Amino acid sequence: MNLSRRDFLKLASIVAGGTALSSCAPVYENLARLGNDSPLPQGEGLGMRAESFALVNRFSFGARHEDLTRVAEVGIRAWVREQIEYTSVPDDGCDLRLRQFKTLDLSANDLFDLSDKIFDNQDKFTVPDELRQATLIRQTYSRRQLYERMVEFWSDHFNISTEKGDCFYLKTVDDREVIRPHALGFFSDLLWASAHSPAMLFYLDNQSNLKDAPNENYAREVMELHTLGVDGGYTQQDVMELARCLTGWGMKEHFWRGDFKFFADLHDAAPKKVLGVNIPAGGLDEAERVILNLGLHPSTAHFLGFKISRRFIADEPPAALVSRVAETFSATNGDLRAVMETLLTEGIPHIQPKFKRPADFIISALRLLDACTDGGKPLQKYLARMGQPYFTWPTPDGYPDTSAPWMSNLMPRWQFAAALAQNEIKGTKIDVENLLELSGVSDIEGFIPWASSLLLGAPLSDEDSAKMASALRSAGAGDEISTARVIIAGILASPAFQWK
Amino acid sequence: MKTQHISLTSRKPLLSFAPAQSAPRGDVLVVVFLRGAADVLNMVVPHGEDEYYNLRPSLGIPRPDDNKAKVEERTVDLNGFFGLHPILSPLFPIWQEGHLGIVHACGAHDDSHSHFKAQELMERGVANEHGPASGWIGRHLATLNRGNPSPMRAIALGELPQRSLYGSTPVSSLRSIEDFKLRGNETAVLQMQAALGSLYSGDDPLSGLGRETLGILDTLEKIQPTIPNSQNPNYPDSNFGRGLREISSIIKAEVGLEVAAIDLDGWDTHFAQGVQTGLMPRLMTDLAEGLAAFHAEMLDHADRLTVVVMTEFGRRAYENASLGTDHGHGGMMMLVSGKLKSEGVFGQWPGLKSDQLFGPGDLAVTTDYRDILAEICAKRLNNPSLEQIFPNYVVKMPDLFM
Repeated sequence: MNLSRRDFLKLASIVAGGTALSSCAPVYENLARLGNDSPLPQGEGLGMRAESFALVNRFSFGARHEDLTRVAEVGIRAWVREQIEYTSVPDDGCDLRLRQFKTLDLSANDLFDLSDKIFDNQDKFTVPDELRQATLIRQTYSRRQLYERMVEFWSDHFNISTEKGDCFYLKTVDDREVIRPHALGFFSDLLWASAHSPAMLFYLDNQSNLKDAPNENYAREVMELHTLGVDGGYTQQDVMELARCLTGWGMKEHFWRGDFKFFADLHDAAPKKVLGVNIPAGGLDEAERVILNLGLHPSTAHFLGFKISRRFIADEPPAALVSRVAETFSATNGDLRAVMETLLTEGIPHIQPKFKRPADFIISALRLLDACTDGGKPLQKYLARMGQPYFTWPTPDGYPDTSAPWMSNLMPRWQFAAALAQNEIKGTKIDVENLLELSGVSDIEGFIPWASSLLLGAPLSDEDSAKMASALRSAGAGDEISTARVIIAGILASPAFQWK
Repeated sequence: MKTQHISLTSRKPLLSFAPAQSAPRGDVLVVVFLRGAADVLNMVVPHGEDEYYNLRPSLGIPRPDDNKAKVEERTVDLNGFFGLHPILSPLFPIWQEGHLGIVHACGAHDDSHSHFKAQELMERGVANEHGPASGWIGRHLATLNRGNPSPMRAIALGELPQRSLYGSTPVSSLRSIEDFKLRGNETAVLQMQAALGSLYSGDDPLSGLGRETLGILDTLEKIQPTIPNSQNPNYPDSNFGRGLREISSIIKAEVGLEVAAIDLDGWDTHFAQGVQTGLMPRLMTDLAEGLAAFHAEMLDHADRLTVVVMTEFGRRAYENASLGTDHGHGGMMMLVSGKLKSEGVFGQWPGLKSDQLFGPGDLAVTTDYRDILAEICAKRLNNPSLEQIFPNYVVKMPDLFM
């Protein structure tokens, strides 16, 4: 079905305007789906896709049929380039799903007021829970998949935990005004925005970094984790001097609570020296000079080149690739679109398997099975059990990015696989009858290769299919649908599905 | 529920371990990591040193005989020079039993002041990046071959495994025994387990972990009815307290556990760390009540149980103006074991005068943390392969353990 964009938006406003859509309300869901031509492939439509499946998986949260169809039309490189120019990718279906969230667009002050229960404890859940829910919805349904991957990457890089003090509501503003506007923009803009973000300043204690008594926390992490890297050439003395530059950086606590503010009376105005550069006595401009310098520093280019290569290419990316990405970073003053272009043209041959992180694992299952989800708490609980509840990693280094830390915790993945396949997660549904029908088969032997093609990009080998079928039979017989559910659960829980 | 079906399709026989007989002769080791760099000077307080009170005019813990402070806010004296923060007093009876050892000014020589680098190096048990990528416990497990086929030789409490556990022996993470099961109707669960057995039959590390997970599932299913229902009411209602309770259940079930690792997070107290109430006192309450409850519950096992508490580094000797402390250097280790030679505060005390401090004003390190861990490996876990566990390091055992 094809609708014009204008018709679509008109319909959307009619429906979304009047109703509180907290779950997979059918009208709402069906409307959001109107934009999708064919979310699932049929029968033979699954052949010849293993290679593009793997590449699309790497740059998205899961290769859906529509992505693979597009790749078949234009090629993987053109597809990634389209994804880099994300603002040109229409995303009405996802936008529509986000309309149910009232807090995403509110100012920090309004979010604080909304959470302030005068006769009761502060409500520290509504605001961050909506952000978590919206994040899951975006990762699952946005067609700007590479962009959402970059948002995820920078949310780790500039990690903020909603568990710390005022961050429970400030993170919503940080997500909207720091991470999302610059995720595929210029790194120096992103760093600048982050340094002026009350959420970050609060998270790393800079609001208590005062004249005569500096607090080193943010000053250290902005060099160690956000820019230069721990071996990037700064010293303890640089940390202490930058901390002095940053004295007085904080946020308003009364009127317009949660807005950035520089408190001149709390600022140590004596001259400083950071990374060999003399900083004359000034005010806000002292640390801003350092931040500009850090954003373009060669160590930053190298550190980010390494981290981005590690995220998208391999746990141990080749040094030559890291250097090429760093060169692009430096040559373009940190243009992240150019960086991704280099990663695309030079990184793809070096791709090594990566173990899916929990969000990756869950979202890829939802995407590939065309699940309908509200992203709500029953689903988020599985993220927590696997170790990756959104925005709650306590320390500023962000969720681990290599395979090893995630591999030992298989049980909650198996539990999720079983629960999803059995439709036992409230607010999240898959349509197994439809999958069986689309497959055009009805026996175990036929459904296993079809389902594994859908979920793994290629059918299980005949031998593995036969082994799985015989294992299922030996464990007792269920009816057709329930056996199909176990097959889906088994493939989701399989070693192959844990990797991308 | 029957699960024999799995062993038909899995290469590794899942029912092969024989609990008590083949359990290793060594102790069970429980490693508690205080993440975020604990302020050890406010945990084991050098109340005999005037400089401590000069450096910490607001955060200092009052002397045991300080009449201006309430009794319950004073340091609990241990040996006339050091004392416990009053919130750690649940540990005092363990000291009186002779089962508590403290190694002060203990830590690593890395001076990056970075949590992440320091934790990584410490858990790998190496001095710098060039050492092996595996963890010291991982290498201990790999070099100690007692023929213990249990899938639970080591466990990580929580969602992610501690870096110290990395190595060739698969180690699974577990939050609770209760949650470690597949749910659904019986046929579906049996089919799922059968499918998993067939899917995780390869030779790759992940398949190994999958088989181990199936083994644990099988083990826990069997032992669950026999787990003594822990009635000890003193475990704190926290991840840490619940984790220690799970460890005690697994140890009592005698399923071949050798090492358990558990974390207590949140010690990065740059801001308002608190003296008698607040952030750090809450963490200390969790730590002390958890360890005391665990000790009480495990009294029958005290002679084959060693608990070590460690942190990546200590905090700056002087307080900052946010009533917190910045990153420091020297830390502290706590040891709880029935096989300590005696209680005591061990190690050479470097002092807190300005010319005795390290770097920007930190407690110096006088005992390498590896000396303590190595002695535990050698004497309590019966593993002589110290040069493999701590490569390129010459161990100097302080002789604290029997």
